[in-house]
Amino acid sequence: MPLQKIKWTQWTIALLLAFPIAIGLIGTLLPAFQYFPPLGQDTLSLDPWHSLFEQGEFYASLKLTLITGIGAPILALWFSLSLLAWGYQRPFFRKIETLLSPILAIPHAAIAIGLLFLLSPSGWLVRLFSPWLTGFDRPPNWISVQDPYGASLIFALVIKEMPYLLFVMLGAMKSLQASDTIKACQALGYRRFTLWRKVLIPQLYPIIRLPIFIVIAFSLTVVDLALIIGPNTPSTLAVTLFRWFNDPDLDRRLMASAGAVFLMLVIALVLGGWELAHQIFSQATRPERSNGKRSGLSDNLLRSGVILGLMSLLSGFIALALLPIWSLAKRWRFPDALPAKWTWDNIDRATPLLIELTSNTLLIALSATLLACFIALLMLETLRRSTHYSTNKSSGYNKPHLFDWLIYVPILLPQIGFLFGLHVLLIYLNLNGDLCAIIALHLMYVLPYVYLTLKGPYLAYEENYLQEANRLNRQTWRNYVRIKLAMLKPALFTAFAIGFSVSIAQYLPTLIAGEGRYSTLTTEAVARAASGDRKQVGSMALLQAFFPVMIFWMAQYIPPRWTRWRLALKTSLRRINPRRNKKCSA
Amino acid sequence: MKKSFIAASIAATLAFTNPVQADWQDTLVQAEGQTVYFNAWGGADNINDYIQWAADRIKDKYNVTLKQVKLTDTSDAVNRVLAEKAAGKNTNGSIDLMWINGENFRAMKDNQLLFGPFSPSLPNYQKYVNENARQSLTQDFGTPVDGMESPWGMAQVIFMHDTATLSKPPKSMVELLAYAKQHPGRITYPEPPQFLGSTFLKQALYELSPYRKALSQPVDSVDFDKITAPLWAYLDQLHKVAWRNGQTFPSSAEEMMRLLDDQEIDVALSFDISAASVQIDKGNLPDTVRSYVFTGGTIGNTHFLAIPYNSSATAGAQVVANFMLSPEAQIKKQTPTIWGDLSVLSYTKLPASDQAKFDALPRGIATLSIEELGKTLPEPHSSWVGALEKEWRKRYAQ
Repeated sequence: MPLQKIKWTQWTIALLLAFPIAIGLIGTLLPAFQYFPPLGQDTLSLDPWHSLFEQGEFYASLKLTLITGIGAPILALWFSLSLLAWGYQRPFFRKIETLLSPILAIPHAAIAIGLLFLLSPSGWLVRLFSPWLTGFDRPPNWISVQDPYGASLIFALVIKEMPYLLFVMLGAMKSLQASDTIKACQALGYRRFTLWRKVLIPQLYPIIRLPIFIVIAFSLTVVDLALIIGPNTPSTLAVTLFRWFNDPDLDRRLMASAGAVFLMLVIALVLGGWELAHQIFSQATRPERSNGKRSGLSDNLLRSGVILGLMSLLSGFIALALLPIWSLAKRWRFPDALPAKWTWDNIDRATPLLIELTSNTLLIALSATLLACFIALLMLETLRRSTHYSTNKSSGYNKPHLFDWLIYVPILLPQIGFLFGLHVLLIYLNLNGDLCAIIALHLMYVLPYVYLTLKGPYLAYEENYLQEANRLNRQTWRNYVRIKLAMLKPALFTAFAIGFSVSIAQYLPTLIAGEGRYSTLTTEAVARAASGDRKQVGSMALLQAFFPVMIFWMAQYIPPRWTRWRLALKTSLRRINPRRNKKCSA
Repeated sequence: MKKSFIAASIAATLAFTNPVQADWQDTLVQAEGQTVYFNAWGGADNINDYIQWAADRIKDKYNVTLKQVKLTDTSDAVNRVLAEKAAGKNTNGSIDLMWINGENFRAMKDNQLLFGPFSPSLPNYQKYVNENARQSLTQDFGTPVDGMESPWGMAQVIFMHDTATLSKPPKSMVELLAYAKQHPGRITYPEPPQFLGSTFLKQALYELSPYRKALSQPVDSVDFDKITAPLWAYLDQLHKVAWRNGQTFPSSAEEMMRLLDDQEIDVALSFDISAASVQIDKGNLPDTVRSYVFTGGTIGNTHFLAIPYNSSATAGAQVVANFMLSPEAQIKKQTPTIWGDLSVLSYTKLPASDQAKFDALPRGIATLSIEELGKTLPEPHSSWVGALEKEWRKRYAQ
């Protein structure tokens, strides 16, 4: 990018990123220390912390949060690495890759509702085998969902996170020159799983460290998913805090703020512990990895991961396939495996609302994502040209830039608490309830994903093409767009698709910035999910899933055909108006 | 000086002669063209449709635009007003009218987050509401209303059962426990602090505790442990034989009805007396489901409309609140296929033509008549809700 004033741009962006984060943090920190003027609290004290530590529910919730928040990322990482090792560069795996995007695109709430229906005692699995096999005329009194250990919550988290990790890993593989490594190792007689375990995964991990951190923070702080499929006696810490924030007893908000600060500390500690565990783990396994054996017992770990991973993928798909059926059901009672009566009524009744919701959703998602793509390009360009990067480029590995940390803060922080603090800022700016505010808040959550997806391909771009073009003519901006961006099309499209689906899934940011004045498919679906009406949620979730899946599909379909289409269009235009084109080319 | 004195005395005379009508005319003029953002729980389609109907009527009649902001929880709106106060936004707040009662009302009233008093000056309030008809019209969960909110509707706890699987439903807390012991896993209630769950606790407390009178007093002034001991003993027994062994609880009335339909449970409860008829109509419950109440009566309360202190459309909001109190709106609201929410108007204060309309209202197949609903138990003082919820979570949610 022929950009002037690199330093200046860099600092402006950094400030713009840091400002809302700082305000959100202050807005959470002050109430946690009893400073909250609207409730008449204006002296700092530790009282909120005392009352927090007196709550028995706090400890129980914390325990549950640690189990689910650490368990889920471990399983998701294990399964996704196994699946990658098993299928990478095999033809059938390409098909699975394209199937990933629906799961990636569908908001967590919809997946949770689908899973709840799949797994509960009156759910589809039991229905399928009842009463002819199980003998159940009525659902059994099992605890297969919302179990007190959080197993069903972990399962739902894994289903949501595994495709994301797999997606990121597939992107990261490109920068590893994996096929050469695989060929070399296979020539040396290493079995497939062994070479992954010993050679590729240790190389892959540092590249995908940040996405893993995002997944961990998400597992520790998720609200909507845990509300639907998580246990409620007690709930996870995030849900407990969410309830305290919403408690009619306004003083509980102070305690909730202290809890939100504590949750931030928990995230930091867990991430630190995770890194430490990784160091110890890789130290401990080093002798085994370098013992020269071409296969090993630990290969079975990956092998079983493949089976479990495929099973969770399958459950995810079934859960998703069941939702649309609900939107067409009139009567669908236990033990019927399919509805007894069908109807169009559910969809008919919802149509006018759906049109309004859809236009809001698309407007917000498209503008936030386009902006995010633009800002991400700006950031990456300044990053590419900043001194420390270019000197380190030859070493292949570069130290994380200031941006790398700043940009992830919003997604590493728990949304509850942080967003409440930010809301006060919006009110000061008189932007509360404004469409711009929603787009800005979405941008904050979309940008990291777009940036992350673009970063690898953008920095790996062979700059010689652009330099050559610039030598041929001086239209640097035109060259940037028509040479560099055009060559980065696949990455740009993918980044756009990911950003788009992230935006569609946002619940709390939309609600808080829009103050409920702008409903989107997601806010409406979560509001409806509260009512437990699967028919309405079914039709909402269907649409909610439709657009991201469409965009993902387009992101995969269009780039390889773009040039062919463009040339075909050009030729046909030339055929229509040959004279004009002749003049142009002259 | 003299002039203003005269003006004041003229105003005073006017105020003596016909204060309300003159003021109300002003309000109507002021309200014209305003947009009222009505923050209301949006979890039920039929209620949202009713609000949309009201919005259309109000637009026609008064040229006031009513926009519903659908909430998952009323406390979201309380939070928002609070955030606005935090930011010093004392005018032009984002909420003009909210659907509220109980604890949320107390929290807002105690923290001076409400506009008013306004309800006693609404024309329809003066014409049709009889404050003495029900205690809950002036005491919202024991908190004095003081005109800071305007009544909208009345609710009462009802129970539902499927006659195909359960012909003689348990009609008291004691019978409910006996039934659960015979049929383990088929009885449950929503998880407190969900309001229906808290109501279930209060209902049980009424039936089980020998100290009924203490419930109308603030919880600080009585011996909580002694009064509630029978409740916890009861729940300890119930949870052992409850749905999913009392380890998890449904989150709402709607989820209970879904579980009833799926035959996971045998008895569901709701605060909406026409819930069963509406859900049968939608295909969410079998048509063999019927409503019933406990023989000793069930808890009932009133829900209200309130205006936040920083609303930018207080006139418009009052026009809406007044319209909601009109016989037209209340008759429509009590129609079982629309909403089925009980009217807050005094039947005897209505003109004969409107009385006839109320009489002619059809009832759904599973909706009880006013007589069948029987005795209403008053809500305990609002401080009980928090105390019961806290204790419940301490005992069963850790």
